[in-house]
Amino acid sequence: MSDRTPLLRVRNLTVNFGSHRKQLSAVAGVSFDIFEGETLGLVGESGCGKSTTGKALMRIVEPTSGSIELEGTELTTTHGKALRNLRTRMQMIFQDPISSLNPRRRARDLVAEPLDCWKSVRGAERDALVNDLLNKVGIDPEIYGDRYARQFSGGQCQRISIARSLAMRPKLLICDEMVSALDVSVQAQILNLLVDLKREYGLALLFIAHDLAVVKYVSDRVAVMYLGKICEIGPADTLYDFPEHPYTEFLLGAALEADPDAPLRGDVLAGEPPSPTSPPSGCRFRTRCPFATDKCATEEPPLEEIVPGHRVACHYPLSLSAEANA
Amino acid sequence: MTDHPKLLVVKDLRTTFATPSGPLPAVGGVSFELGTNETLGIVGESGSGKTVLSRTIMGLQPRRNVEVTGSVLLKGFEVVGASEKEKRSIWGLEVAMIFQDPMTSLNPVMRIGKQIDEILRVRQGMDRRAAKARAVELLELVGIPSPAERYGVFPRELSGGMRQRVVIATALAGSPQLLMADEPTTGLDVTIQAQILNLLDSVKEQMKMSVVLVTHDLGVVATRTSRIIVMYAGRIVEIGSTREVFRRHRMPYTRALLDAIPKVSNPSHSRLVAIPGRPPNLLDLPTGCAFAPRCAYATDICRVQRPRLEPAEESGHAFACWNPLPVAEGALT
Repeated sequence: MSDRTPLLRVRNLTVNFGSHRKQLSAVAGVSFDIFEGETLGLVGESGCGKSTTGKALMRIVEPTSGSIELEGTELTTTHGKALRNLRTRMQMIFQDPISSLNPRRRARDLVAEPLDCWKSVRGAERDALVNDLLNKVGIDPEIYGDRYARQFSGGQCQRISIARSLAMRPKLLICDEMVSALDVSVQAQILNLLVDLKREYGLALLFIAHDLAVVKYVSDRVAVMYLGKICEIGPADTLYDFPEHPYTEFLLGAALEADPDAPLRGDVLAGEPPSPTSPPSGCRFRTRCPFATDKCATEEPPLEEIVPGHRVACHYPLSLSAEANA
Repeated sequence: MTDHPKLLVVKDLRTTFATPSGPLPAVGGVSFELGTNETLGIVGESGSGKTVLSRTIMGLQPRRNVEVTGSVLLKGFEVVGASEKEKRSIWGLEVAMIFQDPMTSLNPVMRIGKQIDEILRVRQGMDRRAAKARAVELLELVGIPSPAERYGVFPRELSGGMRQRVVIATALAGSPQLLMADEPTTGLDVTIQAQILNLLDSVKEQMKMSVVLVTHDLGVVATRTSRIIVMYAGRIVEIGSTREVFRRHRMPYTRALLDAIPKVSNPSHSRLVAIPGRPPNLLDLPTGCAFAPRCAYATDICRVQRPRLEPAEESGHAFACWNPLPVAEGALT
C-alpha cells in the first residue's frame, strides 16, 4: 500500500487569512495522501478548516505554504495555463447545488461548458458525450436537457453538477458538503449515484462533510480535523469502531443515531472550539479535553502511526491509556 | 387521562396559501393531542408541512393570502380565528417558540439581557431590578458562562450555540407550558447540537413544560421524544410512541425514510436504500395517497382513494395506508 505513489500528495499545507497583525490560521500544517480510486473522508465541525483544505487543493484559495502534488506535479508553484490544465484532472462539487449553477443556462449547456472551453470534442461527438453524461446521472437529456437550471430541484441540480464535473474525465473529485443541503430521501439517491460513478470512472474522492454517518458510508479512509489540524486519520471502520483521539470519541458520541434504543455514547463534549486567531499552545484540543495534562499545553503531539495505516496526534491515545489503566 | 385536560388539542387543521398558481394546501387536515410534560416530535422532509403546522399552532401565519380552518385549542384558548391582540395574551406566557436560525431570531442591536428582561417587564410586569435579576438567572439556567457579565453583550459577540441558548432563555422568560422548537439544532455542529438537546431536556423537566420538536432529523427525535408524528405532503401519515414508530411502523414511507439514513453503526460502504422520485408538488397532489407514486407497495386503490389514519394494535399508534407493512416486517433488525 505504502510503496504505491499517491495520486495526490499533500504535505504541511497551511492557509492563513487576514493581515499580519491579526492572522487566522484556517489550515495549520495538514499532510495526507489520496491513492488512485480511493475515497478519503474529511470530517470536522464548522471552522475546523475542512472546506478551506478542499479549496486550497483547487487553488481557489491560495495556500500560504506547503506542497500539493497531483500525479507528481507540484501544484503550488504552477500558474496560468499549466494550472488550468492541471485543474481538469481534479474537479470540485460544492454544497449549494442551486447557487453553483447559472440559473439562466440550460442543463445541456452547463454540462458542455468544460468541453467547449477546452475544445476537446466538437460537433456530434460533443452532443453524444453530453447526452451520455446526463443519462449517467439520471437526467433524461431528451426531456430535461433543454430546461434551465432554475427549473430543477436541489437534488437534480446536484446531479447536473456531478455530470459537469465528470465531463473532462478527472482523476480526483473534491466534494465539499455535497449532500448537506438535500433531504434524506434525495441524499440517499445522490450518495448511491456518487458511489456508482466513482467505481465506473475509477475516481478518487476527497469527501468533505460534517455528517459522520455520511462520511463513513462513502469513505475508505477518514481524517478528522480540529482547528486546522488533522487529529486522527485511519481506515473508516477502524476509526469509527476504535477511535484513538479523544476528540474523535466525543464527535462519534455526539452523533445521533436514528434508533430509540441507541446507547448515548459517553459524555457530551463541553465548551466550544477556541478561536483560530489565537489557537491554544501545544495540542489544540487540550482546552476541551478531559484527559489533558501539562505536557499537552507545552508540547504539540505529532501525527504518529500507532497501527499501520492509523495515525493519531495525541500524547495519550485512548487504547494506550486503557492499557496503562489495566 | 380524561380528568387531565389536554394541553393542546388540534382538530382537522388546514392551512392553505393562495398562490398565483392556485391554492397550496401546506397543512391538509391534521389532528392530534398533546398532554402536559410530554415531548412530541414532528418529522418530515422539506415541504411536508411541519414548519407551517407549528407556526399555525402558534397562530403565526401571514395576514393575507392564507386560509386556516379547523381548531387549535391551547389550554382552552382557540387560536384559529383569534385576533393578534388576543393571541398576544398567550404568546410567551402559555406558548413560546424557538426558530431554526439563532442569528436572525435575536435583535442584533439590542443587548441580550435586555431582550430577555423586555419580556419579563412587559408581559409579567416586573420592575427593572427584578427583571434583570431574573434575566441573569435565566442565562445561568441555559448554561451561559458568567451570566452577569454576558447580560450586556450583543448577539454578534456570541457563537451560534450560545445564541441558541439565549433564544431558549427568552422563550423561557414567560414560563410557558408549551415550547415549540422548529429545527432548533439544524445549523449547529454535532457536539453543540448534543449540548442544546440536553439543555432542552433539562429545562423541560425543571419548568414542567411540554415540548414540540419539529425536525427533519430522525436521529434527533429517536432518543429525545416520547411520541412522533411523521408528516408527508401536509398530512400525518403515521403517529405513535417513538419506540412503536421506529420498531413497528406500518406506513411504507416511515420505513423508507428510516432506510435512507446512513447510520454510524453500519459498516462503511453498506448500500443505502434510496426512495425513488421526489416529494410531491403540493399544488398538484395526486387524488389518492400522496406517497403512492414513490411507494413500492402501491396498488390501484392507493392511486384513487386517500387512506385515512387507522389505529394500529397499540393504543395511540395510527397510520394512513391501504397496504400497511406487516408488524413483523416493519420491525428493525
